[in-house]
Amino acid sequence: MMQRRVWPAVVVTALALAGCGGGGSTPAGGSSSAGGGSASAGSSAGGQGSGELTVWVDSVRLPVAKAYATAHPNAKVNIVTFDGDGNGATTLQTKIQLWNRTGNGWPDVIFSEQVNDPVWMAQKPFEFAAPVEGLIPQDLLSQWPAPSTAQCTINGTQYCVQDNLAQVVLWVNKKLMDSFGYTVPTTWQQWAALGQKVATEHPGYIVGNVGDSFGHWIYLWSGQCPLEQVKSGNNLLINSTDSHCTRMASLLDPLIKSGAVPPLSVFTPDFAKKYGGADDKVLLMPGPSWYAQALFDQTLHLPAGQITAAAPLQWENETPVTTGQVGGGPWIISKHSKNIKGAADFVIWATTVFNPEGAESRPGYPAYAPLATSWLAAQAKNPYFAADPTPALKAAAGQVWSGWNLVTYPDQPVWSNTVVTQLVAGKSLSSLLPSFGDALKQAAQAAGYAVAQS
Amino acid sequence: MRSPRADEGRRAPAPTRVTGAQVTRTRGLGAARGGTFILPYLPFLIAFGILPVLYALDLAVTNDDGRWVGLRNVARAAGDYRFLPAFEHILLYTTVWLSSLIVLVVGLALLLHGRANRVSSTFRFLFYLPGALAGASSVLVWLFMLDPAVSPGSFLLHHVLGSDLFVESIAPGKLPFIFAMIAFWTGAGGWIVVMYGALNTIPHDLEEAARIDGAGAVTIALRLKLPLIRTWIAYMVILSFATGTQLFVEPQLVNQASLGLVPDTWSSNQLAFQLAFRYGDFNAAAAIAVGLLAIGLLAAVLVVTRTGLFRTED
Repeated sequence: MMQRRVWPAVVVTALALAGCGGGGSTPAGGSSSAGGGSASAGSSAGGQGSGELTVWVDSVRLPVAKAYATAHPNAKVNIVTFDGDGNGATTLQTKIQLWNRTGNGWPDVIFSEQVNDPVWMAQKPFEFAAPVEGLIPQDLLSQWPAPSTAQCTINGTQYCVQDNLAQVVLWVNKKLMDSFGYTVPTTWQQWAALGQKVATEHPGYIVGNVGDSFGHWIYLWSGQCPLEQVKSGNNLLINSTDSHCTRMASLLDPLIKSGAVPPLSVFTPDFAKKYGGADDKVLLMPGPSWYAQALFDQTLHLPAGQITAAAPLQWENETPVTTGQVGGGPWIISKHSKNIKGAADFVIWATTVFNPEGAESRPGYPAYAPLATSWLAAQAKNPYFAADPTPALKAAAGQVWSGWNLVTYPDQPVWSNTVVTQLVAGKSLSSLLPSFGDALKQAAQAAGYAVAQS
Repeated sequence: MRSPRADEGRRAPAPTRVTGAQVTRTRGLGAARGGTFILPYLPFLIAFGILPVLYALDLAVTNDDGRWVGLRNVARAAGDYRFLPAFEHILLYTTVWLSSLIVLVVGLALLLHGRANRVSSTFRFLFYLPGALAGASSVLVWLFMLDPAVSPGSFLLHHVLGSDLFVESIAPGKLPFIFAMIAFWTGAGGWIVVMYGALNTIPHDLEEAARIDGAGAVTIALRLKLPLIRTWIAYMVILSFATGTQLFVEPQLVNQASLGLVPDTWSSNQLAFQLAFRYGDFNAAAAIAVGLLAIGLLAAVLVVTRTGLFRTED
């Protein structure tokens, strides 16, 4: 009966192995089907003939995909929603590995919330992305701003087009600021001073937050902290103890301590309960352009007539003013697509045509310039805003610091694991910077980078 | 993703098989007749058990081109900066979970067995209920339970865990205990029912005799019933140990629900998954899988030899 003894353990292990492999047959990790798709759309997509199109989108891009399907009744569009790789998830890496291994199943078009995804999609071992040149006409491609095109260009070839720009601005609650008699800060120092004032004069109100998986993109990217600087090819500079990092951390630490900048994520029920709703307590908040609709309106339910945008904060009198970026998700066409023309048509439509107004309007600042112009014109008249936010949004679009490059690995989980969890536990950001840098280094090295730390 | 779930499905019928096998042996029937019982199971065992293990073994000692590399994959996996933390997590988690499982399941089953029939069946049902929720969905329920903003047990979270926020509930230091708690409540009910069934196989005369000899309820439970269900406990330990070291669903879902606060390589099984499907390093992933298999086997051998799980008394 020797065998009998080992069977349970053997079987359990074997099932675990089988379970890993089986993960590919259903859209795992929070993905589900929606629209015209079926639950198995992810696995059956390999069999598409001409005219059939499988599109993977996050929930925010679902309306675009649905609108395309409605506007193109002849195109058979299978829509699959997934987590969008948000918060640094690696859903797409695992999926593409599986599709590559099985030799089929690739969707034709993917939207990713992760702006760095095309970087690895264009390279070995994934090699998923198709170059957009020749698929999207040059006269359209030239209408994307140069920094956006640069983010989609890997080793000299453009592999994606960005859906939206996600420049960080300073969101201002005009109504609260007016009633408290404060003036809108223009520098980080003024902002911090105001934060301390708020903490004593109006405790409970906040001037920002650091608990999101992208908190470092808001503060450290804006502050020119060299955490992801590609020097050449595979050489990466990660210096979390650079003065640009430490000075921003020192600025934030007292604010985190006093409660003016809580270490909470804006997308948690806790945050909405504490700071959202009709009696909201968000006075100021550095954040990306898409915060207005996706966060303030739809998540925190801040009433109309309160919020507007101000220009990104300046560090003392340093010029040029730089800002961060949170998102700017790209559309990627699969090089394996059997309907690559249809895929390109979808992407062109989604980025250069789709622009509904009113409540259904695009949540983010369109990357395609002509669309941005009409979107901004609509936003200027949008009654949700207390004042026209568009001058600030427009100015910030060109101010994203270019010293932060896109890399093949997600840095958000590293920030969340090593920094956010410790901030919640009461540690200071300054004390966490060295370990943050070390953890980033490990992630970078695991992804094959040669890392320099000074 | 599915291992613990699949395992739960197998939990219930398995002890009956053991009983069946023991009965078969004690009745002295030939191995051939036993063979017919396991025959329908054999194809599945080979297809989903033996072959994947052989495949994993092959992957673990070869490289991408299929060439023999010895232990190099193991060394590479062990050298990964996430390897040690993942195994530390798993060790702590398995220790906490397994010890609470043994003590509480056996304790509760013994308590229930001493009660009047109606009371005990009600409680058995109550204990079983949380486990009736299938693996992943029970974790989702737990995510709500752990969020003080929405949890009905927020006062417990506040006083026991000291957390007023979801992020505090899932602070890194608490995670092994949180996962152990989730796993306990989703799995314990089924095991309590199994243990109760085991207790029912104890002949009533034995209990009667003990009582006449002056043994109280506690003595009967500890000195009579407990030794007689030892093999069932051993069986539970073996299966649960393997399930525990292969934790995947709980950390994976919490990783997503916490927007990445919990690393996606928290457990060793997750690390294997990430190595395989994110880095394309199937060989290192197989090395970890084989390592887990070895750990499970070692535990099984230890338990079997220490408890005499398969000792026949004829």
